[in-house]
Amino acid sequence: MLYLKDLTIQRGNKIVFSNFNAVIRSGYTTLIKGKNGSGKSTLLRAIAGFTPLERGTIKQDKKDIFENNEEWVKNLIFLDTKNGLSKDLTVAENLNAWLTMKGWSSNKEIIKMALKSVGMEKYAELYISQCSEGLKKRAALSRLYISFINKVDFWILDEPTNELDTTSLVLFKKLVFNFLEQKGTIIIASHDQTIIEKNFYTLDLDELKKQRVS
Amino acid sequence: MNSVYTSWSSIFIAHVKRDILTNSRSLIDLISIVGFMILIIILFPLGLGPIQEKLNIVSNAVIWVGLILAIMPSLEKLLQKDFENGWLDQIATSPIPLEVVMLSKGISYWLIILIPLIITSPIFAILLDMDLKNIPWLVISISSGSLAISLIGLSGSALILGARRGNILLPILIIPLMTPILIFGVGVNEAIKINASPYGNLFLLLALTLVYLVISPFISALLVRIAIGR
Repeated sequence: MLYLKDLTIQRGNKIVFSNFNAVIRSGYTTLIKGKNGSGKSTLLRAIAGFTPLERGTIKQDKKDIFENNEEWVKNLIFLDTKNGLSKDLTVAENLNAWLTMKGWSSNKEIIKMALKSVGMEKYAELYISQCSEGLKKRAALSRLYISFINKVDFWILDEPTNELDTTSLVLFKKLVFNFLEQKGTIIIASHDQTIIEKNFYTLDLDELKKQRVS
Repeated sequence: MNSVYTSWSSIFIAHVKRDILTNSRSLIDLISIVGFMILIIILFPLGLGPIQEKLNIVSNAVIWVGLILAIMPSLEKLLQKDFENGWLDQIATSPIPLEVVMLSKGISYWLIILIPLIITSPIFAILLDMDLKNIPWLVISISSGSLAISLIGLSGSALILGARRGNILLPILIIPLMTPILIFGVGVNEAIKINASPYGNLFLLLALTLVYLVISPFISALLVRIAIGR
């Protein structure tokens, strides 16, 4: 369980959240929705431990994620609209660099399996600079497969399905399904409410903010 | 505890490997730096006129100043690319502290950009008519000084992340910090010229390098955290 308590987050001069409370349940998908500029990405970056809080705490069970940051990020996969892919490297090299950066073992077999899980095995040797947006997103999503080999508890995904076609969307849903099977927790910010079919609940930022005002 | 340290070092090496690989794919950056350096070295004697003694006085300083100026354009890109493509966010989820990652960035920058300049520096020295006995000392002082310069550059590069017009801001911010390196670096060879001991300047240069080796990763990591937290 992830407890967000009295969060106040400021970006520049604008207060995006003030005294925001929520609970993220383990073993479920939390779908964060809200209109543009409502702070979906900011919230995700705060949960990942990137954006510092003005006030409040984010606790995983009893541990504060900012105080135990290294432990928290170790079992976490964060993916946002910037994919974290170097355009000077190929799809496979990018995945290999990411794996070794995370401290996990990497070999041809693992990379092949991961790329296969998003239907990218044909594009392994393609440079990112030559990839379309959809291919880039799939190359980034191939990291999710690593959760089935190493210990990963959380996925934090920001708009993961925007550029995907229907075939890749099916593969993405399969990854989500398998991750929930092994008791993983997923937090997704998306406009598209149909990407997750079961074991999910939504966190509507607009609703939550409105309730507090009234 | 032992296993923790082995994984730290292997992840450190993984970061260095990735940086070397990405940079080896865009060799044009490296070629442009060495080319810029050669141009400075060629233009200076032309500007000074045909008197050999004049060249002998300035040759040492020209190499150092040329080195600092030539790497400026590449420093701004040192972290900027990774910031824009989101790799710095991914690095923040690495199990090793961000400070260690930043140290790896500084070291890999030194290996990729400055080692080629260090290797070519004897050629520059000959082009500028430097005494042969000075050349080994030049290589030693540049090897040490350039590591300090890359580490200062790393902090500067982290400082301008996400800033508009960072490329103009960067040299103004970091060149003043490089002056001690320049003074003691040049001092090593100036001492040789007057048949004095170069060790005083060299040890101060090494000491400064060690100081930056310790503080630069911390400063850079702090600045990167601010940049990705915005």
